[in-house]
Amino acid sequence: MNSIIRFIAKYHFILLFLALESFSFWLLANHTYYQRSKFENATRAITGYISNRIDNGRQYLRLQATNEQLTRENLDLRNQISKLTVNLERLQLSRSDTLSNSQYQFIPARVVNNSTNKRYNFLTINVGKNDGVEREMGVVTNNGIVGIVAGVSDHYSTVISLLNIDLKISAKLKQSHYFGSLYWDGRNYRDVIFTEIPQHVSMNIGDTIVTSGFSAIFPPNINLATIKSFDTKSGNFYTVRARLMNDFKQLHYVWVVKNLHEDESEKLESMEL
Amino acid sequence: MYKGLIKYLGFFILLVFLQLFLFNNIQLSGYINPYFYILFILLLPYETPGWLLLFLGFLAGLTIDTLMNTYGTHSSASLLMAFFRPYVLNFLTERDDIEKKGSPSMSQNGFNWFLRYAATLTVAHHLMLFLIESFSFTNFGTTLLRTALSSMVTLAFILTAQFLFMRRK
Repeated sequence: MNSIIRFIAKYHFILLFLALESFSFWLLANHTYYQRSKFENATRAITGYISNRIDNGRQYLRLQATNEQLTRENLDLRNQISKLTVNLERLQLSRSDTLSNSQYQFIPARVVNNSTNKRYNFLTINVGKNDGVEREMGVVTNNGIVGIVAGVSDHYSTVISLLNIDLKISAKLKQSHYFGSLYWDGRNYRDVIFTEIPQHVSMNIGDTIVTSGFSAIFPPNINLATIKSFDTKSGNFYTVRARLMNDFKQLHYVWVVKNLHEDESEKLESMEL
Repeated sequence: MYKGLIKYLGFFILLVFLQLFLFNNIQLSGYINPYFYILFILLLPYETPGWLLLFLGFLAGLTIDTLMNTYGTHSSASLLMAFFRPYVLNFLTERDDIEKKGSPSMSQNGFNWFLRYAATLTVAHHLMLFLIESFSFTNFGTTLLRTALSSMVTLAFILTAQFLFMRRK
């Protein structure tokens, strides 16, 4: 017993180091994004508040670019409306039922904190539980997907960025409708990898990749990225490198997507047949 | 003693604040991310007992981890740095002035000494950090490049801060 105490006393520096280091690694291994403690919610409220204050200042410097972006977005929407009105008129002639509601609802939000330089990137947005945001809702902009809500407090939410090597989303080729999965490889923040497309499918550099709509999180047919290069090294599937349409360093206004049919489709999928 | 405690606590809070809201916004080309908060571990007094040094190193990392959502990454890196600190100090300090008081700062030991001291520990910290972040030895080249570039920028900031502090004294 005495010798054990002497041993501990002699090597306490190294032993303590090893103990704390194992604890760190335990933290590293055991932490998953969906298990969030109360403590974290508290820190998020504080850092969210300060980030919000800082971002308020930064906003003025960006007004010009934001205005231009909004104008472009307006133009886009206007074009879509005019296209849709024609379709709608045609549909109304053939169908008398007009009681269908839209499936998705959007909540506008502002990015108050963002990173693109790590392998696990997160964003903080200025909407939370009080605005109707819940975990696992999608976050999008006009130019593509931003990420998925990982945690919410009353006024802020943490979003797992698409630039997080743990996030994989379902996507498809706009032209041929072949679907695969899209993820970030942790290198260049403008590029993503798109896989699981069989080799007989024809594709060209510059083709558009859109969301598939298979998961209940994102609406289908949101533009994501354009193909930059592809090769066939890995077996039967293409490995496609694609350039994101979103510039994650300039994200400012985003939309949180609320899927009003989510419960219904999930219930159906989990039903025993 | 009591006054020193409050001074270091304030210093720590200031560094965490700067790290979160200033240095985390410096992201050049995805390779350069300065981690300025390690200055806290560099400047702890000589007479800090070993166990306290380790705990403080660990806590500094854990604080940053909690606020940045990076569980275990910064705590293990800054703990490793705190662990290496006494050995680096022993190695760099002359035998006759080993009984120094105060903190191992630039104003006390001169530019050359401080550069060697800070550089060794910064590289150790950054290498561990980026290794854990990539969690593998594949892309080892990229990890090394990130370590080298980020260490240089962190060091530049630390040296600048020390110069400013020195002049004010």
